Amino acid sequence: MSTAWTSAPSGQARRGPGPILQVDDLRVQFRTGSGVVNAVNGVSYTLSEGQTLAILGESGSGKSVSAQAIMGILDMPPAEITSGRIVFEGRDLLTLSAEERRKVRGPGISMIFQDALSSLNPVYSVGFQIGEMFRAHRGMSRRDARRRAVELMDRVRIPAAAQRVNDYPHQFSGGMRQRVMIAMAIALDPRILIADEPTTALDVTVQAQVMDLLKDLQRDTGMGLVLITHDLGVVNEVADDVAVMYAGRIVERGTVDDVFGNPAHPYTEGLMGSIPQVESTGGRLRPIGGQPPNLAAIPSGCPFHPRCPRRRLGADALPGRHCAGDVPPLRLVIPGREAACHYSEEVLGV
Amino acid sequence: MTDQQRDDLRHDEVGAGTTTGLAAPSVDVTDTRQNSLWSDAWRALMRNPLFWIGGVLGVLFLLVATFPGVFARGADPRDCSLSNSKLEPSAEHWFGYDQQGCDYLANVVYGARNSLIIGALAVVVILVLGVTVGALSGFFGGVVDSVLSRIADIFYALPLVLGALVILRSGSLGRGVVAVAIALSAFGWMTAMRLVRSQVIAVKSADYVAAARAMGASNSRILVRHILPNAVAPVLVYATITVGVLIAAEATLTFLGVGLQRPAISWGLQIDAGQSLLRTAPHLVFFPSIVLTLTVMAFVMMGDALRDALDPRQRS
Amino acid sequence: MARYVARRLLLAIPVMIGASFLIFAMVYALPGDPIRSLGGDRPLAPAVVAELRDEYNLDDPLVVQYAKYVGNLVQGDLGTDFRGREVSETIAQRLPVTAKLTLVAIVIEAVIGVIAGVMAGIRRNGFLDNVVLVSSTLVVSIPILVLAFVAQYVFGFQLGLFPISGIGDGWYSYLLPGLVLASTSLAYVARLTRTSVAENMRADHVRTARAKGLPNRAVVVRHTLRNSLIPVVTFIGADIGNLMGGAIVTESVFNLPGIGRAIFDSVRQQEGAVVVGIVTLMVFVFVFFNLVVDVLYAVLDPRIRYD
Repeated sequence: MSTAWTSAPSGQARRGPGPILQVDDLRVQFRTGSGVVNAVNGVSYTLSEGQTLAILGESGSGKSVSAQAIMGILDMPPAEITSGRIVFEGRDLLTLSAEERRKVRGPGISMIFQDALSSLNPVYSVGFQIGEMFRAHRGMSRRDARRRAVELMDRVRIPAAAQRVNDYPHQFSGGMRQRVMIAMAIALDPRILIADEPTTALDVTVQAQVMDLLKDLQRDTGMGLVLITHDLGVVNEVADDVAVMYAGRIVERGTVDDVFGNPAHPYTEGLMGSIPQVESTGGRLRPIGGQPPNLAAIPSGCPFHPRCPRRRLGADALPGRHCAGDVPPLRLVIPGREAACHYSEEVLGV
Repeated sequence: MTDQQRDDLRHDEVGAGTTTGLAAPSVDVTDTRQNSLWSDAWRALMRNPLFWIGGVLGVLFLLVATFPGVFARGADPRDCSLSNSKLEPSAEHWFGYDQQGCDYLANVVYGARNSLIIGALAVVVILVLGVTVGALSGFFGGVVDSVLSRIADIFYALPLVLGALVILRSGSLGRGVVAVAIALSAFGWMTAMRLVRSQVIAVKSADYVAAARAMGASNSRILVRHILPNAVAPVLVYATITVGVLIAAEATLTFLGVGLQRPAISWGLQIDAGQSLLRTAPHLVFFPSIVLTLTVMAFVMMGDALRDALDPRQRS
Repeated sequence: MARYVARRLLLAIPVMIGASFLIFAMVYALPGDPIRSLGGDRPLAPAVVAELRDEYNLDDPLVVQYAKYVGNLVQGDLGTDFRGREVSETIAQRLPVTAKLTLVAIVIEAVIGVIAGVMAGIRRNGFLDNVVLVSSTLVVSIPILVLAFVAQYVFGFQLGLFPISGIGDGWYSYLLPGLVLASTSLAYVARLTRTSVAENMRADHVRTARAKGLPNRAVVVRHTLRNSLIPVVTFIGADIGNLMGGAIVTESVFNLPGIGRAIFDSVRQQEGAVVVGIVTLMVFVFVFFNLVVDVLYAVLDPRIRYD
């Protein structure tokens, strides 16, 4: 068992042609008082060096839970990872001990969250919290850790870093706080950064600045970026590939241009169609009808079928492709595109 | 609601013991989706064993206070004969006799009545004062708030027992049941006031209040229809627990000599009289003590159960 | 921070003035004879009455009375009792006992309460958690008056483990009374700590600490404990008022010669001036302690410092 990433900087970590992260059929359940909630139902994807993968979905689609499962920070009761593999640098993270997993968090894979104000501890200075990364993982002294913290704050473009290193989170603006979170996350040069709705709570202009920062950092370090969001605009601007999630499953995957330009799944189609166009005047907005699924009682067959305008039931359906009865697998539809729909070809128009 | 307001509200609710600290404040109970607050709470209450125990004890206390003759088994607390002095409990006389030779069960039972009256009276005054001052203070803000809050701060500086002690000692109120109740409420209204004030401030800035105002609702309508219903839940919890606290405080004040006086019948007086005989006739102190404790416990348990039932975060 | 402290100080002063006025008003300004307030029912010779009226300025207009009252207070003159002793002297003699008793109570309340609360809060709904919850409800329901007698009877008389009265055994004599005095507060502190810890463990910043790969001990101690203690500290400050009320009962039952006992005796002996003097002192101490707690709160929580 190698412990390479606790002491070695990323340059010495394995650089191979293969993916740096491979998630295989991940399933997560929550046991609550009112039943079992299937939050993640078979999610699989890979991430390569320098790649930005966007995970797109509504609240309740399972995108945050799957990310937290990768990080290993889910509360294990009530959550339970019922199956799957998460392969990072040659090891299945789910087979590691708690202590070994802890050592991966920070130097190997790190995560930033949506609300930086509540995600940072209000009673410690930002310098202290950034410095914790170095003190905990690299055994640095307080003084050295503080020095590195100032460097990081500079790197994430926080003005007057040296003067502000002893300030508290509530003394920063929203965008600056998010930069502090980013600084903490990249402190130890992780190979993967998971960003869970990093800009949802920010103004549009600040949003752009933070996303630019993330892209620049990614270019400098070659780290993989998993961007979890429900914002189509951000995905379009920043991501290389996108995986669309619905009811705990990935329902479509491909490059952003391909998927947004020509969706292969009715849900993605609905998302694209709901975006108001600048040119269109008058007319009605076209939301996706119906309600998001209840994860404690996921519809049979394709979970999207109750809301799907293209669903085929009864005699309409082809054998083995009954939308209310058969679960559509995530399959390769055209080169470079996977979709979980019985009738993807129709959606695509091929 | 700003973070500061949220923190202040939580601070006051925690101080009043009306929340476990997990509740998200400012749940709009007038919103139709939240109308289930009370029905959910009722169901949660029914499931809570503490509520049942407390409820049973509370009802028992009420019955004893209202129909003392029944529970005293027909004995007259003032029918005393020195030949019975300090007799131990027996099958005939469950609590034995006190120093004057009076049936002790009867005395303890009749003592419940005064405690009930004082507790009820004091809590009503506290609620009226607290809700009014708190609502005015929170709603109008500005100078009104500053002045009223400073007044509350000044009263806060005198803890309940100390303040009541001084005012009762001075004799200006007299020495009866009403006097004790007034003394207790005079130094017990501040927490209710702060609680209501924080709720009002928190809710005042909520969107649905702005909406109501935009539709032309008057101040008093907003106050009564939107703001006060939200304040009811924590105040109800506080009031329940406070009845228990007040009953204990009355016993303490009477024990110290500033509460009710002979020939009134009060647990405090009984404990005081039994004090010197603790070693030889402990039942004189313990019987009123046990009954006093059970009474306080009834209200504390019901208040706790109520708090847990109304706490939105405890409900899934 | 300095500005915060200055502001709290500035707020505390009118409160103290107001409180002293309130006490003054209750004793001297309400309808009824102030002589009764001071001397109760004891029969007083006219000469004594005249002397009293002179000493307490009872013939002056109220405003002047109050001014002289405050003047005396500031100089430490709290009047004299009917045996001719200065109230301030009585207080000075007895204060150390009450101070020790309260100190023991606060230490017990803070230490045991926080430890119990932390252990219960870390494992919410565990066995220890339920024990703490149930026992705290029970303890809160038992008035200190009752607990004092029960403790004295069971642990003093019956088991003989503790002295039943007096301060003859040094610090040991304060242990049982201190525990009794602390009981209600202890239960509240434990409950408050428990909820605070449980809530903080689920907070976003703890999730971040875990996501940073910090060791569990650092997560719990550094990122949970300090945040959790903030409401507890505020509570302990406000609770000192209850401790003072409880001290009167505790000292009376356990016969500790402190200022609480002095109040008890003075009520019996109709020594109004002593009662008023001691209560005034207690109020000042209470306000002062709340100020200290406010400052401590700012030390723990930087968000407050810049208010």
